[in-house]
Amino acid sequence: MNKYEYKDMWVYIEHSGGKILPVSLELCCEARKLCDAAGETLCAVVVGELHRSEIERILACGVEKLIRVSGTGLERFSVDAYTELFTQLCRKYRPSAVLVGGTIDGRDFAPRFACRLPTGCTSDATQLVYDPKTGDIEFIEPAVGGKMMAVITVPVMRPQVGTIRPGTFKYLPAGARPCEVIDERFDFPEEKIRTEVLDFLPDEADESLNIADAEYIVCVGNGLKGADTLGRYRELAALLGGKLGCTRPVFDRGILPYKLVIGQSGVVVKPRIYLAFGVSGAVNHVTGITDSDVIVAVNRDPEAAIFGYCTYGIVGDMDEVCDAMIAQLKAKV
Amino acid sequence: MVSYSKLSPAAAEKLRAIVGDGRFQFGETVREEYSHDEMPIYGRFLPEAVCLVESTEEVSAILKLCHEENVPVTVRGAGTGLVGGCVPIAGGVVLSTMRMNKILSYDMNNLVVHTQPGVRLCDLAADALAHGLMYPPDPGEKTATVGGNVSTNAGGMRAVKYGVTRDYVLAMTVVLPDGQIMKLGKTVCKTSSGYSLLHLMIGSEGTLGVITELTLKLVPKPRMDVSLILPFRDIATAIASVPAIKLANLDPQSIEFMERDIVDSSAAFTGNAVFPTVVNGREAGAYILVTLIGDSEAELTAKMDRLGEVAEKTGAYDTLVVWTDGLKKDVWAARSAFLTVIEAETKLLDEMDVVVPVDRIAEFLVYTHDEAERQGVYVRSFGHAGDGNLHIYCCSNDLEEAEFKRRVKKLMDACYAKCTEFEGQVSGEHSIGHAKKEYLRESVGETAYGLMGAIKQVFDPKGILNPGKVCHDAEGGVEHA
Amino acid sequence: MLNILVCVKQVPDVNLVKIDPVTGSLIRAGVPAILNPLDANALEAAVRTKEKYGGSVTVITMGPDQAAEALRECLAAGADRAVLLSDRAFANADTLATSYVIVTAAKLLGSFDLIFCGKESLDGATGQMASQLAERFDASQLSSVCTVLEVDEDKRTVTAERELALGVETARALLPCLMTVEKTNYRPRIPNLKSWKASRTAAIEMFTSDTIPGLDRAQIGDPGSPTKVPRTYPPEKGPGGEMIREGSAAKDVEALLARLADKL
Repeated sequence: MNKYEYKDMWVYIEHSGGKILPVSLELCCEARKLCDAAGETLCAVVVGELHRSEIERILACGVEKLIRVSGTGLERFSVDAYTELFTQLCRKYRPSAVLVGGTIDGRDFAPRFACRLPTGCTSDATQLVYDPKTGDIEFIEPAVGGKMMAVITVPVMRPQVGTIRPGTFKYLPAGARPCEVIDERFDFPEEKIRTEVLDFLPDEADESLNIADAEYIVCVGNGLKGADTLGRYRELAALLGGKLGCTRPVFDRGILPYKLVIGQSGVVVKPRIYLAFGVSGAVNHVTGITDSDVIVAVNRDPEAAIFGYCTYGIVGDMDEVCDAMIAQLKAKV
Repeated sequence: MVSYSKLSPAAAEKLRAIVGDGRFQFGETVREEYSHDEMPIYGRFLPEAVCLVESTEEVSAILKLCHEENVPVTVRGAGTGLVGGCVPIAGGVVLSTMRMNKILSYDMNNLVVHTQPGVRLCDLAADALAHGLMYPPDPGEKTATVGGNVSTNAGGMRAVKYGVTRDYVLAMTVVLPDGQIMKLGKTVCKTSSGYSLLHLMIGSEGTLGVITELTLKLVPKPRMDVSLILPFRDIATAIASVPAIKLANLDPQSIEFMERDIVDSSAAFTGNAVFPTVVNGREAGAYILVTLIGDSEAELTAKMDRLGEVAEKTGAYDTLVVWTDGLKKDVWAARSAFLTVIEAETKLLDEMDVVVPVDRIAEFLVYTHDEAERQGVYVRSFGHAGDGNLHIYCCSNDLEEAEFKRRVKKLMDACYAKCTEFEGQVSGEHSIGHAKKEYLRESVGETAYGLMGAIKQVFDPKGILNPGKVCHDAEGGVEHA
Repeated sequence: MLNILVCVKQVPDVNLVKIDPVTGSLIRAGVPAILNPLDANALEAAVRTKEKYGGSVTVITMGPDQAAEALRECLAAGADRAVLLSDRAFANADTLATSYVIVTAAKLLGSFDLIFCGKESLDGATGQMASQLAERFDASQLSSVCTVLEVDEDKRTVTAERELALGVETARALLPCLMTVEKTNYRPRIPNLKSWKASRTAAIEMFTSDTIPGLDRAQIGDPGSPTKVPRTYPPEKGPGGEMIREGSAAKDVEALLARLADKL
């Protein structure tokens, strides 16, 4: 394989109910910068029908090539059909990179078509850097629970496949460019789709689990002594009119549900005030909170990384500080 | 009956000068948390001032001043007590040891640690482990201070093997009520040298002196441990297994019991449903949790085999092995959360901490449940099956407070009488405070109670240290709404 | 009778891994190796499926010899057979190479109807293994399964609920099917003494690169891994904020609330 024969960076455009998912547009914007650095062409791959207005949103990100795929067996996402589709497309067009949103579907099929090709696949990078010396993309991602950053490359094989979590990159459209449109026909035999959806039951709207748009967030980290000490943090969140969230280890310990996990592998938040109690400040958490107006960190360990990212920091016992905060907020009311 | 003086503004300024502005609260600035412990049903009494002390010298200076001024002084650790022991019922000054929270040094040759009294139990335990050592006393309330543990002679889960806090205190520095500093005990394990003032001080609930430094005995950390859960049909069958477990020569580190109700509450509250409720198709009504230690897996396996045989003979539904670190953490976290869970789900709460002979535990619990039902309150219980120390919580969510107190009084009168009949103790580890004085008096009898009062008189003739506690009568405080 | 496979991994308890503040390198000493927590949930789902429909559960892992301990934990919790793939030649494998070794070896053990995996590992956390294992088994794939509803051996299907972002999907897939399992409904059981003891002495089947017939050496370990890690570095320290040090929690909070006044 001569990797230099592989050109174009692709972004898979995931859409649902006629709307493009934000992560796909975020990836177009980030890949635009990579293409500028590499002197490559940015190409978006759309499977199925999309209204013109949505297509415009893709073009606004500076996409120069648009592959529109239609055919049987693609109406609804299936791992079987989409794996084969991307295997065939990659073999035909030979892109240098394929970026896929790290949604449930994206994380299901991207590693699978990478395996079928075969080529290297990475997930959850928080930075993408083009290295002109090697011609490779550096997928930089938090490792070991966010305590280290690891640079991952695919130095020999192509395409370089990566799934990227929603919210990792900013949606900052660079402006439209002339765009070539390619219509691609692909038929996948329905009988080869091995999964079928029988039913879908939307979650009952439990507002406490919807933290993405909360104005105030109280986040508990691994410093939390136990589930029995959670009450005060719920109380503080309620007093502020905000929501309770947590870091990944708190979910791992079985204390709070996954939907409350803030960070790269969970929810990305942007509150007015973000209060981190007992949060160490691992990168994969910090990536999910950087758009907060104010970050307050409370930690026993004066060396905790979170103090590097906070607006205000208090070194102390998280429970004590929380109790003091509750008492003083109550006194004000 | 003694009477006290109010803390004068002039004296308050002297106190402020001793500890500095940042560590002194007076009048308006005194925080509400100093008016109660974790059992607020016994009343809230706000101190006139709070000193957050940092050294023996400060404690001495404060006591000297208060002794001269005839102002009461009540020592307080983390405030996690359950009998009002650290509550300043006669007003005066609260002396918080929370900032005396330094572990001073380890003596690895003599296996002792020198520590300040305000170190939290969980911090001391973790730090000792990091040194390859274990501090054996293991009360459920891990955020209590070691000073508080010594003052109450706290026991905990490992008492069945290692004994109680008393057995691990080798020496201490105390400040007497008039401000004199005294060292008691030595870093040796034997003494036959006169009355043991050291042991008199242990468990005296801050009524004889203020502990400002401790030398505690440690043991090498056990190489391996395993916990086993034995589910039973009900509490009676569960408790009935305990003598057989003790006879099996397993030298268990702890033998705990817990009723199904508290396990369910804990699972619901913490989301940590680690105790299985249905075992081999049968509903568990109570559990015994045993921890074994050993030098090797072979040794532990042999012990587990013996325990398994006992479990089968005594009707356990199964013997579950808590082997991995993750499971151990979950199981013991659930166990440690019990009191917090009860506090969280209960509006009105009172407790008993009796000790009865191990073979009378089940009988005592059945009696308590029956009496509680008669009084219209409900009971949650768990505790140390290995040593007969029961934690019984009387709860209500629908009664008026006065009515609750009236009914619980009846319940407790009956239960403590039953406890005395069973040759038990009023308190295993929570102490007397001001809440259990009458029951202590009935339990030990007039002669013993009188001797206790006489001892208090010798140490503290003006009665300024923690007035109204254990065996001392005092008034002067104003209950704080 | 279902033939069920569970793919597991032994991982360092990354929550306990510390970074040397001076050198910036990982301090691994004293960090216990544990069964990847989400794999324990996958195992529980597998064992319950076996208990309902009959069959056997095989658990497989690739790792150093010490990973046998993780397999024993699985045997104690209901697995019937344990297989360890251990060889220095397997080291430094990415998910592509790892999935190749596991599937090549697993195919020697029989043909599996159901394959269960944890959602992701605590250490690598790429979440890619399941998809690549499914690809190599040529299995259908259901991710984020919260409940296995029904296995129909005659029709060769499995029906399961998947916990998606906005709700619960019920899906049916043809066997063989690989499922990744959510933790909520599959708390791992506490083994009883009998099965724990059996697990301590049970035979663990071992394979090396030499004893897996037909293994293509170009596809294993470092040579077989298209992704490389040219370097790692400690995360940059943030610029740092204003530290509030007023001497007590209450005073710190007072100072903080004063600064936040216009935001509250």
